[in-house]
Amino acid sequence: MPLFLPRHPHGPAGWRCLLAAGVAVAVVGCGRSEKPRLVAEPESPAAPVMPPEPGPAAPAEATFLPPSLADLDRDAKWIDRPVKQGLAVLREQQAKEPVLASVAEALALRNDSPEANAKILSALGRLPEPGAADSSARLDRHVTGDLSSTNPILISSSAEFDILGLTGFGLFSFDRALEPFASAETVVSWQTSADGLYDRIVMRDDLVWSDGTPITAHDIAFTYRVIMDPRVPVPAVRSGTDQLKGVHAYDDHTLVFFHKEPLATNIWNINFPVLPRHIYASTWEEDPTLKDSPEHVALEEKPVCGGPYEILARKRGQEIVLRRRDNWSTFQGKVVREPPYFRDVRFRIIEDPNTALLALKSGEIDEMILQPEQWTTQTVDDGFYELNTKATAPEWVSFHFAWNIDEPFFADRRVRRAMSYAFDHDRMLEKICLGLYQPCAGNFPPGSWMAGTKPLVPYKQDLDKAETLLDEAGWSDHDNDGIRDKEIDGQLVPFEFTMLVNQQPFRIAICTLLKENLEQIGVIVNVRPVEVTALQEMMQKRTFQACLSGWGSGTDPDTSENIWKTGEMRNYSGYSNPEVDRLFAEGRRELDRSRRGEKYARIQEILYDDQPYTWLFWRNSFYGFSKSLRGYVFSPRGPFHYSPGSGSLWKPRAE
Amino acid sequence: MATYLLRRLLLGCVTLVAITVVVYGLARSMPGNPLTAQLGEDPSRKVSAADYERMQRAYGLDRSWPEGYLQWAGNLLRGDLGRSITRKQPVTTLIGERLGPTLLVSGTAFLLIWMLAIPLGLYASARAGTVDERGVSLVLYALYSFPTFVAALLLQIVFSVWSKGTAWELPLFGMTSLPPDAPLAARIVDVARHMILPVVCQTYVSLAYDTRFIRATMAEAVRQDYIRTARAKGAGPWRVLVRHAFRNTLIPLVTLLGLSLPALVGGSIIIEQIFTWPGMGRLFFESIRERDYPTIMGLTLMFSVLTLLGQLLADLLYSAVDPRVSVE
Amino acid sequence: MAAVDGFWGQAWRRYRRRPLAMAALLFVVGLAAVAVLAPAIAGTKPVVCRYKGRLYAPCLAYFDRRLEPAIFAKDKFRGSYPRNLAAKDPQSWAIWPLVFQDPYRAVRADEWPGRPENPAMDKGVPSRAHPFGTDQAGVDVFAKMVHGTTVALLVGFVSMGIAGTIGIVVGALGGYCGGWVDALTSRITEIVMCVPTLVLILAIMAIIEKPTIWHTMAIIGFTGWTGIARLTRGEFLRLKGAEYVTAARAAGAGPVRIMLRHILPNALAPILVPITFGIAAAILVESGLSFLGFGSPPPTASWGSILNGARSNLGMWWLVVFPGVAIFLTVLAYNLVGEGLQEATDPRLREARK
Repeated sequence: MPLFLPRHPHGPAGWRCLLAAGVAVAVVGCGRSEKPRLVAEPESPAAPVMPPEPGPAAPAEATFLPPSLADLDRDAKWIDRPVKQGLAVLREQQAKEPVLASVAEALALRNDSPEANAKILSALGRLPEPGAADSSARLDRHVTGDLSSTNPILISSSAEFDILGLTGFGLFSFDRALEPFASAETVVSWQTSADGLYDRIVMRDDLVWSDGTPITAHDIAFTYRVIMDPRVPVPAVRSGTDQLKGVHAYDDHTLVFFHKEPLATNIWNINFPVLPRHIYASTWEEDPTLKDSPEHVALEEKPVCGGPYEILARKRGQEIVLRRRDNWSTFQGKVVREPPYFRDVRFRIIEDPNTALLALKSGEIDEMILQPEQWTTQTVDDGFYELNTKATAPEWVSFHFAWNIDEPFFADRRVRRAMSYAFDHDRMLEKICLGLYQPCAGNFPPGSWMAGTKPLVPYKQDLDKAETLLDEAGWSDHDNDGIRDKEIDGQLVPFEFTMLVNQQPFRIAICTLLKENLEQIGVIVNVRPVEVTALQEMMQKRTFQACLSGWGSGTDPDTSENIWKTGEMRNYSGYSNPEVDRLFAEGRRELDRSRRGEKYARIQEILYDDQPYTWLFWRNSFYGFSKSLRGYVFSPRGPFHYSPGSGSLWKPRAE
Repeated sequence: MATYLLRRLLLGCVTLVAITVVVYGLARSMPGNPLTAQLGEDPSRKVSAADYERMQRAYGLDRSWPEGYLQWAGNLLRGDLGRSITRKQPVTTLIGERLGPTLLVSGTAFLLIWMLAIPLGLYASARAGTVDERGVSLVLYALYSFPTFVAALLLQIVFSVWSKGTAWELPLFGMTSLPPDAPLAARIVDVARHMILPVVCQTYVSLAYDTRFIRATMAEAVRQDYIRTARAKGAGPWRVLVRHAFRNTLIPLVTLLGLSLPALVGGSIIIEQIFTWPGMGRLFFESIRERDYPTIMGLTLMFSVLTLLGQLLADLLYSAVDPRVSVE
Repeated sequence: MAAVDGFWGQAWRRYRRRPLAMAALLFVVGLAAVAVLAPAIAGTKPVVCRYKGRLYAPCLAYFDRRLEPAIFAKDKFRGSYPRNLAAKDPQSWAIWPLVFQDPYRAVRADEWPGRPENPAMDKGVPSRAHPFGTDQAGVDVFAKMVHGTTVALLVGFVSMGIAGTIGIVVGALGGYCGGWVDALTSRITEIVMCVPTLVLILAIMAIIEKPTIWHTMAIIGFTGWTGIARLTRGEFLRLKGAEYVTAARAAGAGPVRIMLRHILPNALAPILVPITFGIAAAILVESGLSFLGFGSPPPTASWGSILNGARSNLGMWWLVVFPGVAIFLTVLAYNLVGEGLQEATDPRLREARK
């Protein structure tokens, strides 16, 4: 294999391949966007997207007998729930925000301070006045990897989410504040029963798929059946649909979701992508993989779409072009929905961040995610500001050191706190994070409703305190070799452990800083960069001592249960606290927002005391935008993964 | 001859079996499997143990690796290379998509390298020790030491950014900019323009090595007695080199060429990533990262077949090139 | 006199007469000296110091962490020597390395009295304080290059030594013996050629807990010999029919002697090329592997890792130029040595000089 010199003379190309293997993964970062692999994929962008998890334990639709609609209407005591239009919500919110600068001013600014950043976002993030947007414009977006599937229920990568956000059909969405609502573009009314067990949707009757067939409630019920069928191998597994008892379409436009329990998280379970029944009903049972049969393969190229856009063309490995659908905005000759601003949206695939930056600078793409180094050093000169500007906002993605509590080193809480005290957080924030990130002290984003009113105090380096804690926990230098040790089971065990990290230089730098800090107090750390998938495997199997990783917050705090509950799949630390388990279970059931928030705040306090993680920082999202682009608004999930998301982008009509 | 070929083909099949068994076993021993990456990321995605098992069964991961290998081999004998786990397309489709673009760049680079290296090597050995030759060698060594990613980026800056709008402008990335329904001639020119920078990057790297190789073998050849004879007979220096010495360096050259054959379809992952060129290097690298066993096996099979063919070709050419050598 | 010296002795004498080859050899020897003396050239630990009445050599810790004298940890030096030595023992003295910089971390403000903190990121341009500049984290590049010489030499020579030995032996056997021996060695060569190295490395990671630099060298060596083997085989095939071989066989020489003494010196030309290039290339392969978790754990000081650091910020040209020039000089030197070796061992020249 041409991966090594000098097994054959074109080795010079060969060893560069292997070098690339190391470097490429490191810098390109797992081949996807710069998000760490452990960042949660978005719950639901403009169109709801939630690849469902087929649950064999859940009863199939066939064995579920729904009550008649009349009975339901009589007994349920329906409560109305919000039905909103994403853009309208944003417009309202923006109307209340002050305008900090004019567009001309903002375009002339350089984003070198928080004030400049605020001005740029305030001026350039506004939605257009009627007629101001160029409706025949094209948006060139940047993705770092190709789609592996265009089938809505098989998606898993961020590129796929971005595209499904524009081409997919859905009933629900959530706004900038991560508050869910039913989408007024597809839904007439949404009601929840008083006991929380039923959600009733009446869909609009002016919806058609891209091939002209009407979209009905039967499509949604059908999709639910397909998702739940154990033969369909849905890769991007999400909890959700297995929490439903069933989904039933009473007629073409009336749909009821049946929940097993009245939980606060029910709203997220009814949010899943929809397949066109008239296309798949005849094909899915012969080929439940949805990928093999010739019909399905053809559908991959040109799927039938239910969202505002349809896939016009695909050049594999290069780009995907979407075009606005006329039959989304018009029905039987009348305009029934506001058409999206762009006629075409082109997703251009560029893996290498340097090439992508060159493409942005020369105007070949309109937006891209910037790496922190690019933000600080490569987007500050005239060359960049000629055609582009940039903006940043906090994102709910945090990084931490995870300690394996089953290891003898980290079983004691004092040791874990000693680690947190030993680490030079300030230096990390200043030198490695380049002053761009906020310190993170706990599980939930500060200022959010689940973080409570009392902010947690981030740890600061205190080597003396760290040493005292270690001495208290029994780790001191008994054999005078400069390294702390402790007698365990009759043997003197030195305090030397391995910290696993993925191959990005940024993360490796954080680990080597910890190594430097701990060596000063007699603890030896071996930093070990590990290939991405191997690292995932080690974390999932818990064959590690410590590792550096990150999480993206889901839209609902209950998603953290998977990290902290005893024995849960992503509880890589092995943390176990019955009170935390209980609080999570209660929080799920608590429907009152403020009482619910208290529970999560209490969870956060407990975790802060126990330090199963040493929390490091909250990451910002950094984007470069073309100066011809307007309407970008950041949410805690970045500018695109909420409603209206990329739908708020527009380009002004040429003067 | 025929028996020799037959024997080699049979031995080749045995070798292929050995290679595929080893690679399959190693691939399955790599930590992680196709599900690991998919399951890791999102805390809101809960997977029950039953589900995990179901997905394992769907992807054939619950079987031990010898069983898995036998199934793969069985499918192969029926002409089915399987389906990529992560990309969901048949492996043959994946490889087919990438083969053309890879050959375009590697093939062109290959031709360029040898068109340049042979004259340069001959020149270097003719003027060995002179200032000219030292200068050329220094330049070549410098090129060899020049990291590919730096060269690629510099070329991009010069030809895509600084030359924007001029006749010198070259595309920044990708393989084509025209839609598939554009006229053929325009599309050929378009791809050619996109190809230039990747080809240059791939060519300069090997130039130093191959030139030096030729020079070394030539230096060896010119010291032989028959060269003295030829010179004594009054043959001029170039004639000596080309007519007499060069032919006797053909054996190592043929070996080198045989070793280069698989590299033609290997592609260079750095170049492909930087230029977003849809090549095999990227496919291979990504399929390893994703633990996409069918694709890994399909690619390994293809490379192995080409490697074995390359060696067979080299062996056959030995006899053609130098009558004293016989491999039979 | 000439008859008394052995083959290699004569070769060495001939080699000595070539100025360029000697210069290259001296360069390599110089690199080796730098590698051995690295902690004395650049470091933040004293070469030798007297503390509380005893002599210590803390700089040896750069070779092995365990060689760091324990007393400094007990006295809470926290890795910083200049101020602590004077403060904790006024009678202490120390001989410092030529350049007070650390290859693994940035020097803090006032760690060396009066000196500011190392600049980081774009501000790390080469300056008087840092002739080679500093990298993104503020680590001095000169210190990294000096300490990286050890890796560069070690990995290059050991791995190519392994690869060269295996390749030459396998190729020689196959080429000379022919028949079933050739069939067997060729098949083994093909198998090793076709196994993808990346897959092999990842599979090995599953077994070995802490892959070290020796594993790296072993991997590069045990997978990199196939090209050399093929080239050697080709040469031996070609040369086994030469007259001097027949003559030697007639004179009663055994196969091993024939292969080593007669054929190999004539076959060196195409074999030396991949070996000399390979030694230089191993530098970069090593850094690629260390990213995959092999080799010395980070923070690493190797030329390849400096180069990799440049990838995210090519504006920091000094991260490319200095290791690039070092690699260029290394490639040049090894190739000159290879050329010199080739000509020095050429039996034809030996006769000519007589």
